[in-house]
Formats: sequence, structure tokens, C-alpha cells
Amino acid sequence: MNTATRATLRRLAACLLGGFVLALMVGRQEGSLNDFGISFHQAVVGPRIFVFLLIGLVIFVMVTFWPRVVPYLTRPGVAPLGAGLLAVLAAQTVMNWYDPLVSSTGNGKFSGVRTAANASPNLSSVSVAFFGWLAWTLVIAALVACAAAIVTRVRVFGYVTAAIGIVGAVLAYVAHSAVVDLDGGIDHSLGVYADIVGFLLLACAGITAVHARAEVADTRGFLRKVMGYRPGLPIAALGVILGLLAFSTAGWFGALQINDTLAQAHSDFDGTGISSLALNYLGWLGWTLFGAAAVLSLAATYLRNRMLAWVSLILSVVGVVLTFLTLRSMTDIGAQVAPQFGGTWKNLGAGGFLACIVFSLFAAATAMVISSTSAGVRRNVRAKAPTDELPVTSMVKGFRRSSNAMPLLIIGGALALFYPPTLTLTWQNVLVGQIGVFVLLAVGLNVVVGWAGLLDLGYIAFYEIGSYTTAYLVGALPVKPPSWLQMSPLVSIPFAILACLIAGVLLGAPTLRLRGDYLAIVTLGFGEIIQILAVNNPGGFTGGPQGPTVPHPRIHLGGINITWGQDNLPYWYLLLIMLIVVIVLFYRLEGSRLGRAWAAIREDEVAAQASGVNTTRVKLLAFAIGASTSALAGSFFATQVGYFDPSLFTLQASILIVAYVVFGGMGSLQGAIAGAAVLTWLPQFLKAQVPQDDRQMWIGALVLAMMIFRPAGLLPAKRRKAELEGLDAAASSETAAVPRAGAM
Amino acid sequence: MSQSENWVQQLPQNIIIGLEQGSVYSLIALGYTLVYGVLQLINFAHSEVFMAGGFGSYLVVNGIVGHRHMTGVMVPLTVLCGVLSGALTGAAIAWLLEKVAYKTLRRSGAPKLAFLISAIGASLFLSNLAGKLFNRLPNNAFPTYFDINHQLFKIGNAKVTLIEVIIVGSAVVMMIFLDRLVNRTKLGRGIRAVAEDAPTAALMGIDIDKTISRTFVIGGALAGAAGFMFGTAFGVSNLMGFTPGVKAFAAAVLGGIGNIRGAMIGGLILGQAEVLIAALPFVGAQWNDVISFVVLVLILLVRPTGILGERLGRAA
Repeated sequence: MNTATRATLRRLAACLLGGFVLALMVGRQEGSLNDFGISFHQAVVGPRIFVFLLIGLVIFVMVTFWPRVVPYLTRPGVAPLGAGLLAVLAAQTVMNWYDPLVSSTGNGKFSGVRTAANASPNLSSVSVAFFGWLAWTLVIAALVACAAAIVTRVRVFGYVTAAIGIVGAVLAYVAHSAVVDLDGGIDHSLGVYADIVGFLLLACAGITAVHARAEVADTRGFLRKVMGYRPGLPIAALGVILGLLAFSTAGWFGALQINDTLAQAHSDFDGTGISSLALNYLGWLGWTLFGAAAVLSLAATYLRNRMLAWVSLILSVVGVVLTFLTLRSMTDIGAQVAPQFGGTWKNLGAGGFLACIVFSLFAAATAMVISSTSAGVRRNVRAKAPTDELPVTSMVKGFRRSSNAMPLLIIGGALALFYPPTLTLTWQNVLVGQIGVFVLLAVGLNVVVGWAGLLDLGYIAFYEIGSYTTAYLVGALPVKPPSWLQMSPLVSIPFAILACLIAGVLLGAPTLRLRGDYLAIVTLGFGEIIQILAVNNPGGFTGGPQGPTVPHPRIHLGGINITWGQDNLPYWYLLLIMLIVVIVLFYRLEGSRLGRAWAAIREDEVAAQASGVNTTRVKLLAFAIGASTSALAGSFFATQVGYFDPSLFTLQASILIVAYVVFGGMGSLQGAIAGAAVLTWLPQFLKAQVPQDDRQMWIGALVLAMMIFRPAGLLPAKRRKAELEGLDAAASSETAAVPRAGAM
Repeated sequence: MSQSENWVQQLPQNIIIGLEQGSVYSLIALGYTLVYGVLQLINFAHSEVFMAGGFGSYLVVNGIVGHRHMTGVMVPLTVLCGVLSGALTGAAIAWLLEKVAYKTLRRSGAPKLAFLISAIGASLFLSNLAGKLFNRLPNNAFPTYFDINHQLFKIGNAKVTLIEVIIVGSAVVMMIFLDRLVNRTKLGRGIRAVAEDAPTAALMGIDIDKTISRTFVIGGALAGAAGFMFGTAFGVSNLMGFTPGVKAFAAAVLGGIGNIRGAMIGGLILGQAEVLIAALPFVGAQWNDVISFVVLVLILLVRPTGILGERLGRAA
């Protein structure tokens, strides 16, 4: 048996084993005390195991024949085909299609809508067919036709693919709106839009496959060409499309559980004593603002005219402000007329916030024009300056210089501001209590683990100290502070940070001379000790396992009175401010002298010391800065949840935060944010996909798979990526020189 | 005053209990230390190997013995069967773990922390898969196929029960076996060579991949056997690996991670320290976990690389 056969057999065994494990993973829940292994038996005995082994076999065949497929992968049309398939698959398997079904029958997904559609006799037969069998048939037909088009490059196949794609998109829209019209209710679901985009991408794939010439065959190059043709034009165009949706069909107000479009809202609010500005906005001003901003920003981006760009920018900002004022007065009236449906900022549909996003997109597009026209002037001057900067510094400056940064920031900011209000209450809660807080923690830990290379497995302890410091200072613990020290939650944040700084230095000073893994176990021990201290409650300080009740924050400053209560949204904006401050600070820190010193000790501590880096001081600073970020998060958390107990601060939580940082891409700020956001969002997302108890198992499997297939993380740090790819490149150039073992 | 007299009176009994706990810690710690020796990596999924050993031996022993009650010569046979099945399950899981979570990453030249995270992922996966397959109760009592608390003999006023003898006895046997294996056999020489200097060992004709894989298998077998013993004494559950795993990790570091005799000594010391200090009148059992870490930190402050120092190659 030669090496190749043995490798193939080994792969076959691995794939079959994978199928076996999959059979266990989607099997029945739990054995009983009488028959401990019953779910094991049921999972692997009987015909169902063959289905899973078949899946393994299919994967084996795909992996084995992958090299045959590879030559076709560079052909034009493959990239949009892949993207389209992915979008359609996601839309028709995991995304929600019709929200009201989620609560009533528990399943608003494609399959759930199918069941509902079959049950309702008034639905048109096309819609029933679409949800029943047509959608998947269309997908398979498009896939086959597109594959034929890519392989043969016969034009007819391409046109057929395009036709199928367009029919699919239209049918999806028609069928979805038919279902929504039939049953009413507020629909937040995005499944249909993803499906439409997917079908349109499939159509594009067909056309590209048969029509692409060499100059547009390269997808990335093509994209760059499109985006670079007129900076900002694609963004402005996106704004126009979204804006048309927002002002014509999207829901603006949902009191009485009915989605009002803009026009309906106008007739509803006419004569209710709403402010004339809002009435005008609903009537004509909104459309006019949108039209004017759209035309101006399209013109500005197309003509690259700074003057027009400024005018459009100002108009867009005015648009955002006016939209906001309108929404506010709508909900004020809504709260007066029908208080049973909630108060201010309640019952708003996605339309108003989508309009805000649209205006922000226009602003981003025009900002792109402004920065691209002025950056050209500046770049000429800069080119003459000597470039003796370090790579990181120039990279950071390069990002700041590049014309893409500004619009990206504006779009991101617009999403962060205007997307959360359209979310359901549960998701707002997740966004604030899980995603936001853990992003803050991951960003802080990234300093310690990612930048300074110190493995800290007790990071949650600082979070805990922050929370308890705040609880102490607001007087929520059994031991009260002296009256002059008692303060409101927000004021206590600096003190919480101070406490964590001190704790960080106290832990760090004696232990930082320990190397790598010793430090890991000592920090782990520190985390455990702090948690057990809180539970065991020595001296009655912490209140033991019950934990303290912390009041919600308030600001009374001169004329400003802001009170945070049960509602999640205000906390989100508070958290957003904290996040922005921390991220901007850390972003500046990365390229600074200290950031470079961290990189130096991470790569080689001895060499760094020899080059004059005070390693102890620099490590201590990393610890202290990480700890203080954690304190900020802890302090916020304490006052947001109002009530917490020590069981939250376990070792598992510490380990999970390390996993967020590494999963996202160690040492990269974007990576830490993305990793924490994805891994905290995932359990909530999986809630609807797999049995509740199995979530941790799927997350473990996903993390494992991620590390196997992408060990550098989701968004690797540029420096590390260069290291990895550099090694790869070196290895491949070496191995390329040697003939392969099989060839000899 | 009477309380501290109490402590002295209970000392022999507590030393025996500490020995029992310390033996389990030592067996698990050996797995951490072996893997650390050859890979310089903390195997975070090792506690799940321990758990798998517990479940595997539970299924096998339960399948063979059922609910019958064993006496006389059948007891050591049952124990042998349990230890062997636990060791086999542990070895199999550890072998798979190395293939899936470590070898693939080693081939792609991943950064060191990526191994840690893949191991954490594997650990989450394994413990929850076990929870799904069996149950998620915190404690499933082992079938009482023999009287584990049967009193064998007395030392002074300290009682020695059957389970304590079994645990300490089989731990000692396995440790001696491992010591011979690492010091006297060709495989052991390979492991020591890879731990000392992997690239040079490769040049000397040692297959590094195979050596690492076998190291995992050895460590897994020890942990699996420990899983059986722990399960017999305290019951099995899908989360049973976590706390002993963390303690054993601490024990491995305490003795000097990468050092086999260090792991044995570290485990024994930690077991004793926990029981003896928690028995002090002013401390109490709720501080159990704090004690082990305080002891660890104190010792590391004096000896930053553990009691016996690191390096599998040199010290073993």
C-alpha cells in the first residue's frame, strides 16, 4: 500500500468518524438512570446512522475530488455563485421570514412559513408553491445551470441562470408580502431580503460566467474598479435603494400592532395634535429631504464636487436630526393616545431608523468625496517626507490617511446609533448585557494577551472587583461606605478603575517575573480566590451568594437630567460612548511607544530588555490597563443589571474571554471586537436553531473547527498575519524546490 | 484549645484522605506534565479525557456487573476491569484529541495560544456531548457493586477503607509503571529526547508525530484510570473533570511542569495541603479551592519553576 492510498483511506476513516460524531450530536437528549446509554444506542443503532455515514462519505468524495474542481474555481462567476448560494441557504434555513409566527407557532423560519402557508386557504397558489417546493427547486436549477454556464461558457446557460435568479427574487418578494398581507402583524424579519439578494447574485453569476472578459474576470479587481470609479458613488446608490424602501414600504409606527408606512402614518397622525414639523415630515418634507439629499450626493460623488458634497453633507445631517425629532413626537403622541402599547421610543418600526441610516450613508458618500479630493493634495506633500517610520506606525497612519476610513466610520456609527432601536427587546438586552459588555472586556484583555503576550486566565476577577467596588460605593453592600464617600453609580466608575488598577499592580508586581504558563496558573488562581472570597463573604463584606442590588444610574448636572431605568436602549448609548472612548484610546496606544514595547516583549523578552525596554514596568502597565478596562465594564454591568451575584464570575467566564480574543485574532483590536461579538451573539442565535442544552456543544465544535481551519483567528492582526504568511511562503518555496514524495 | 487538639487527633485520618485525593490529582497531573514536556503546551482538554474515562468505565463495569454485589476475589477483578476500561477510553479520547485539535494546528504552524483555544473548544464540546448522551446531573453514583467504604484496617485511630487502598494502590502501581516506561524503554527515551530538543531528536531518527501521539495516549490512559477511581469514590458527571482538572494543573505546575516526578509530588502535596489546612479550626472546607492556589502562589514565589524545576528530559 503506497502513501497516497493510505492517506485516502485515512481520510475516509476520518470522514466516516465525523459522520458518526454528527449522528451523536443531533441525536436524542440524555439517557435515563435506568438505561444510561440509551441515547447513545438510539443515536447510532438503526438506519439513521447510515444517513450520517453517507454525509461523511459525501464529504469524503468532495474533499477527494476537490483538486479536479479547483481549475474551475478561478473562472468568472464562481465568486457570485458562491455568495449567492450562501445567502439563499442562510435565508432558507436559519433566518426568520415572518416574525409574528415566531411567537405564535414558535417557528418563523422558511419551514415554519411553509407549514402556515399550507394551512391557510386564502393564499395564492404561487406563494404556497414557493414556500412548498418551488424555492428549493429554483435554487438547484440555478446551481445546475450556472455550473453548466461556468464549465461550458455557452451563453444560453448563463441567460437561463439569470432568468431563474430573477424569477426566484420576484417570487420570494411576492410570496413573502402575500403572507404578511394575509396575517398582518409587525414583521421585522430579514430572511426574504437575504433570499432576494441571494437570487439576484445567482442571476449575476450566470451573466458573469458567460460574458466576463479578462479585465472583469477578477472579482476583487472588479470590485476595486467599481468602488474606485467615483469614490462614494456605490454608497450613495445603496442609500437611494434603501431610502426608497424606507420611505415607501417600510413600517414607521406600530401602535395597535399594525405597521404603518410613511403615508399611512401621515393620515393616522393628521389632527392628533402632533407638531407641525413632524406632520410635514410625514407628509412631504421626508420625501423632499430624501430626494434632495439623494440627488445632491449622487451628483457630488459623480462630479467629485466639494461644494456639492458639503451641501449634501449638511443636508444629510439635517435629515438625520429631523427624522429623529419626527420619531420622537410620533411616539409622544402614541404614548398619550394608547399608553397600553408603551411610551416614548416604543412601537417604532424599522422605517424611521432605516431613514436615519440612509441619510448617514449619504453623509458617508459625500465625506468620501471630501476626503478623497483633499487627500490627493496632502499626499503629494507627504510623499517627499523621508519614511523612516516603523511599519506599524506607517500602517496606522496609512489607515488614517486612506479615504475609506471616514465613510466606514460614518456607516458603522450610523448602524450603531440607529440599528438597535429596531431590534426586539430580547435582542436589545443581548446587545447591551452580553455583546457590548463582553466586547469591552475582550478589548481590555486583548491588551494583556494579544499585545503584551501575557496569558491571563483570571481576567474576570477584575470585572468582579469593578462590579463590587461600584456596589460598595453606592451603598449596596452590607458594609456601607462613610457618608462622604457614598456616590451615584456613574461617579463611582473612576474609583472602580482605581481599585482595579491597584489590584492589577498588586497581582502583577510579584508574579510578572514568572514566565508564560506559570503566570497563567497564578492568574487563574487569583480569579478563583476572588470569586470564592465573594461567595464566602468574610467579615460580611460582600453579602455572600445573594449578591448586591445596585441602583440604576442618574445624571443631574445643571439643567441636564437623565435617568436610566429598565429600558435597555439608553444603556446601549451609554455603553457606546464607553466603547468608543476605549477603542479610540487603544487604537492610539497600539502604534505608540508603549504598544511597540509590548510587541517587543511579546516576541522576545530578552531581546526587548537588551534594547532598553523596562520589561517589568511595561508588563505592569499592560496588566493595569487591561484591569482598568475590565473595571469599566464591571462598573457598567453592576449598575445596568441592577442585581448580580458572584456565580457570574467563574473561571469558565475568564477562559471564554480569552477564547473571544484568540478566536477574533490575537493582538488585533478589530479581531477582539469581532470575536467577542460573534461568540456572544452565537449562543442567542443558536437558541432558535438547536436544542437549548446543546448550544455549548455546538459552540465548542465551532471554536474547534475555526481554530483548525483558520488558526490566526477571524480578523488576524496585520503583524501576525505577516508572520504566519511569511513562514508559509518560506516553507512553500522550500518544498517547491524538492520533488514530492509520490513523484520520486 | 480543644479544637486544635481535635486537629491533631484527626491528623492521621486526614493524611489518609489527603493521600487519596493527592493520588487522583497526581494521575491527572501526569497527563498535563507529559504533554507539556513534549509540546510546551497546556492541554486544556485533559480534564475531559478524565471525564471520558469515568463514563467509559461506568458503561463497561455496569454492562458486565449490572447491579450484582461483588465480594471476595471478584472485587479486585472488577477494579481491574474498571481501571482497564477507563484507561482504554481515556487513551482513545486523548489519541483522537491529539489528531483533531493538536496535529492539524501543528501542521499549519499556528500560534501557541491557538492550541489553547482549540483545546478549550474540544473541552466544551466533549463535556457537553457527554452531557447530551448521558445526562447533565451533577452526580451519577456508580453502581454499588462492592462496599467501597468497607473498613480494611486501622492505623492508630485512623480507619482505612477499601476505596482508599484501591486508589492509592493503583496510583502507586501506575506511577511506578510510568517511571519505568519513561526511563527504561525506547519509547520513554524518545519522549525524553523530544522534550529536551525536538528538532535534534528528529534528526536522530525519532518520529516526532508518533512520539507526541503516544505521549497523549499514555497521559490519557492515566487520566482515564483516575476517572474510574474518582467515579467510584464520588460519582461521575459530565462536569466532573473541571475541578480536579484545574487542581491537577496546579499540581503539575507546583511540582515543576514538564517534570514527571514533580507532578507526582505536586499532586500529593496539594492533596495533603487541601485536607490538612481545611481541617484547621479557623479555616473550614469552603476555603478548599483558595488553599490550593495560595499554596501554589507561595511556592511559585519562592521557586518560580516549581519544586523540582521543569524539563521532562533532565529531571526524570
